[in-house]
Amino acid sequence: MTPNFDPYLAVGAVLFVLGAIGFVTRRNLIVMMLSAELMLHGVSLTLLAFGQIHNRMEGQTFTVFVLTIAACEAGLALAIILSLYQSKKSLDVSLWGDIREEDLPARALATEEEDHAAFEPAPLVFPGLTPAGRVPGIDMDAPLDGQLIPTVTKNDGKRFTYGEPEEAELTTKP
Amino acid sequence: MSESAQHLVMWLIPGAPLVAAIIIALAGKGLLKERSHWPCWIGLALSAACALCMWKTIVPAGFDSHSPAVATGYEFLNIGTMQVPIALRADAISALMLTMVTTVSFLVSIFAAGYMHHDPGYPRFFMAFSLFVFSMCMLVLSGNFLQLFIFWEAVGLCSYLLIGFWFKKPSAAAAAKKAFVVNRIGDFGLIIGMFLIWTTFGSLNFDDVLLNGAKIQELATTSPGTITLICSMLFLGAMGKSAQFPLHVWLPDAMEGPTPVSALIHAATMVTAGVYLVARCTPLFMYAPEVQVTISVIGAITALLAALIGLTQFDLKRVLAYSTVSQLGYMFMALGAGAAGEDLMTTAVTAGMFHLFTHGFFKALLFLSAGSVMHSMGDVIDMRRFSGLRKVIPITHFAFLCGALALAGFPLISGFWSKDEILSVLNKASAHTIYGKYFAAVFWVACGTAFITVFYTFRAYFLTFWGPTKIPAEAGHHPHDASPVMAWPLRILAFASLIIGGAVGFNHAFADYLHHGTGLPHAPHGSFNYSLMALSTVISLAGIALAWFCYVQSPAIPEKTATALAPLYMLSQNKFYIDEILWGILVAPLRGLSHLSFLFDKYFIDKLVDLVGMIPRWISAAPRWLQAGSTPGYALVMWGGLLAYLVLVMGSLR
Amino acid sequence: MIGTVQTTVVIALVAAAAGLWFALPQRLHRWRMLSSFAATGALLWLVSLFEQPGSEIVSRTLFWLFSFGAVLCGVLMITSRDPVHGALWFAVATLAVCGLFMLLSAPFLAAATVIVYAGAIIVTFMFVIMLAQQSGVNAYDQRSKNPVAALFVSSLLLGALVMTLINWRGVGKPAGERPAIGVSTEAGVHALSVPTAAAPQGSLYALGRSLFGDYLFAVEIAGTVLLVATVGAIVMAPRRAQGNL
Repeated sequence: MTPNFDPYLAVGAVLFVLGAIGFVTRRNLIVMMLSAELMLHGVSLTLLAFGQIHNRMEGQTFTVFVLTIAACEAGLALAIILSLYQSKKSLDVSLWGDIREEDLPARALATEEEDHAAFEPAPLVFPGLTPAGRVPGIDMDAPLDGQLIPTVTKNDGKRFTYGEPEEAELTTKP
Repeated sequence: MSESAQHLVMWLIPGAPLVAAIIIALAGKGLLKERSHWPCWIGLALSAACALCMWKTIVPAGFDSHSPAVATGYEFLNIGTMQVPIALRADAISALMLTMVTTVSFLVSIFAAGYMHHDPGYPRFFMAFSLFVFSMCMLVLSGNFLQLFIFWEAVGLCSYLLIGFWFKKPSAAAAAKKAFVVNRIGDFGLIIGMFLIWTTFGSLNFDDVLLNGAKIQELATTSPGTITLICSMLFLGAMGKSAQFPLHVWLPDAMEGPTPVSALIHAATMVTAGVYLVARCTPLFMYAPEVQVTISVIGAITALLAALIGLTQFDLKRVLAYSTVSQLGYMFMALGAGAAGEDLMTTAVTAGMFHLFTHGFFKALLFLSAGSVMHSMGDVIDMRRFSGLRKVIPITHFAFLCGALALAGFPLISGFWSKDEILSVLNKASAHTIYGKYFAAVFWVACGTAFITVFYTFRAYFLTFWGPTKIPAEAGHHPHDASPVMAWPLRILAFASLIIGGAVGFNHAFADYLHHGTGLPHAPHGSFNYSLMALSTVISLAGIALAWFCYVQSPAIPEKTATALAPLYMLSQNKFYIDEILWGILVAPLRGLSHLSFLFDKYFIDKLVDLVGMIPRWISAAPRWLQAGSTPGYALVMWGGLLAYLVLVMGSLR
Repeated sequence: MIGTVQTTVVIALVAAAAGLWFALPQRLHRWRMLSSFAATGALLWLVSLFEQPGSEIVSRTLFWLFSFGAVLCGVLMITSRDPVHGALWFAVATLAVCGLFMLLSAPFLAAATVIVYAGAIIVTFMFVIMLAQQSGVNAYDQRSKNPVAALFVSSLLLGALVMTLINWRGVGKPAGERPAIGVSTEAGVHALSVPTAAAPQGSLYALGRSLFGDYLFAVEIAGTVLLVATVGAIVMAPRRAQGNL
């Protein structure tokens, strides 16, 4: 019974395509690099399977080279990622679309502000005492019905939410 | 004379002015400054000496074998069967013309050193001046039509540079432009003529085209239309350069340039290049009698028209300019007379060239005198603002009188001989059976014009030098006569104007020499027609007397006449509105057309081009986001390409 | 038969794409594990098309085990919201792939890959993650970009790859009509790369013979590339004196 190497080829293709999906969809530079490594795995697997099918050593030989280049690539990529992080303090690849045309609407790119608006980190609630005395801007006569009291800040007229720790003391909990 | 010495002498004629021009161009501004005239003087003197040597020794050496003197140069073009060498070729016509050109140039350059003194563009002037003499000598010495054309353009360029010498003056800049553009029309004709000669004869060399009598005769019988067309086109070129009606409008405006330039380029030399061209191409024109008649008639129209305009002008230089146009018309009248028979051809050419020769001297003299007047009057040239100058500037007065007598054809002075030859040849031509009636008309126009010429010349003379002494304020209190450097050229030219016509005309020396010109049919030289001589003497004396009567004896008459004939006077004063007519029939429609083209270009062509530019933009608008600068996007596209490749592979594996 | 194979491929691809779409980080954020398993299942279904009846049971079992591990860890890696988790999933996927290497009689490469990847690359990645991402969860990890377009193109790519393999390897045809396996082609070219009795396929001797025989020059170049990359990485990496790392 001759061995069957075709499923290996299929697995190699699947890994390659999975890496491709990860490379395209993920925005974290590190995950993108990991996806590229996954693609290299798929290629190595395919090379080895071909080597077996044709009964030659080139498959393994080339895999050695793939490994070498993967190591080079990882080292360089990580150095570059660190440099990029230095300048923008973020690993978001969308921030690096500088070579697009000036007037192109950034529809493929979500700006960081939108993202942060969409993913507001979970509010930090620190334990605090009930405020004593009157707090400016809070209607102390309003009935406390166990809800967060909506207050109005001095400047921007926006609804007050939890934000920085020092502002948290303005909130009350029943 | 050995062959190498002959070549050296011939090459020195254009070479010395060229070297002078280069030296002045390189060293003029920094090194020579106020001494910039020296290279020019030396170069032109050398050139004139060599030209005289050539005229005396080199060219006559070839008379017996009917061959021109040739100095080889180098091969300029060698394309297929077309070989255009830059070489010098001189025969009797060139030699006579060159003698006049170089001598007058040399004298004018000496005068110019005084006239242009203290001008900030002093080196530039002498550079362009030397360059012009070089170009003119090359033009006259060229042995093929292409070389002739190149230097035809080069003299046009120098003329442009020198008319616009004071380029900060708007009128000078406009005049330079006008001269250049009007000349383009003529050059268009010349170049078409050249093309036709090339396609017909397969060569551009004078010796192959003009001396190829068999071919010309064969052509004259098989397709006379071709020769007519060639000659018409060549004459169009000559019309532009020699300011013939209706292309004469540039020449009076060219007086914006410095006066020595007017004297040399726009009176003595460059404007006669057209005459030279027609004379040179005599073997061709011989077989196009219709064209010759046209030449004669156009010459007559030009002569009469310019003389009539010259009657009423008050600008001294403009009077002389119109007289130049008029005299050029005379030369063409004579050249055209060859239509009346082959035996008259050589006589006609001789008459035209003789008038060219003498006219070069006395017209240069007149212009230089006018320049001298202008110099002492503080650049005022309007004859109404000065008068009675004969005591104030006696040298100039004497020179101008000599020139005016020569131009008026006063008996036994040079203009008399040459004009008489023209009238004589026209008179002979009017006996021709077919074209006789045209030439009869031309003859009487010529006589009339001669009278008008005498009248307006002496009108200018009497207005300027006679009457009560009146000096414009610009001249200062003590207007000075010509300084020695300006006076000597005037004296020499005055002497030449007085005697040169008689010296070479009386004994037919000029005609004898010119008969040896290559391509001219041999003809016995005519004898003097004494009745015509008497006629022209009468015309001359009557004109002078009438001018004396009108402008010295009773100066009120001209005003009365002008008021009486106000419409005619205005017509003449405004140059027959030719500029305006040309504007109306040529420039304005062209402007309208160009405006239409502009609109067409702006709203159709441009939009079309924009549309072509927009198409890729529209097409690319869809996939543009792929080029959004995001690396994963590029990777995605790359895998799309891989996919397409795989599909291909699959297809081939099936 | 071919018709059924194609239908299977299409269904499996659609299922895998749908599973991955659910699993990828985006606004709908639930059942990631479930959909990852579903996608893995669909992908392995594709792989199972290439299965031949009658192969050795042990190697088959091992193959499926490792394949399952590799594909599942790959899916989890690309769908993880935390890059640290992603790196760990990648490490596991690498181990599974090394298992597959062993099954392909490449023990040396399996070992080398474990050492290089798990020992060096993953550790480096971890360092970088810790250096660069100290603030915990990031917004950009919570959103995948253009998942529909990416999944569409990738599905087409995978489909094309699989169909190419199916056509080339003659999947579904009787054994006699399929291309032979284990026959060296073009024996004269790079003869040192052909396994012999003394140096059988998979032995370190055979690998060394090929590497330092036929491909010596390439080995030298690879070494140079490695050196250059090292220098480059050192040059490019931000320095403490300049930055605040």
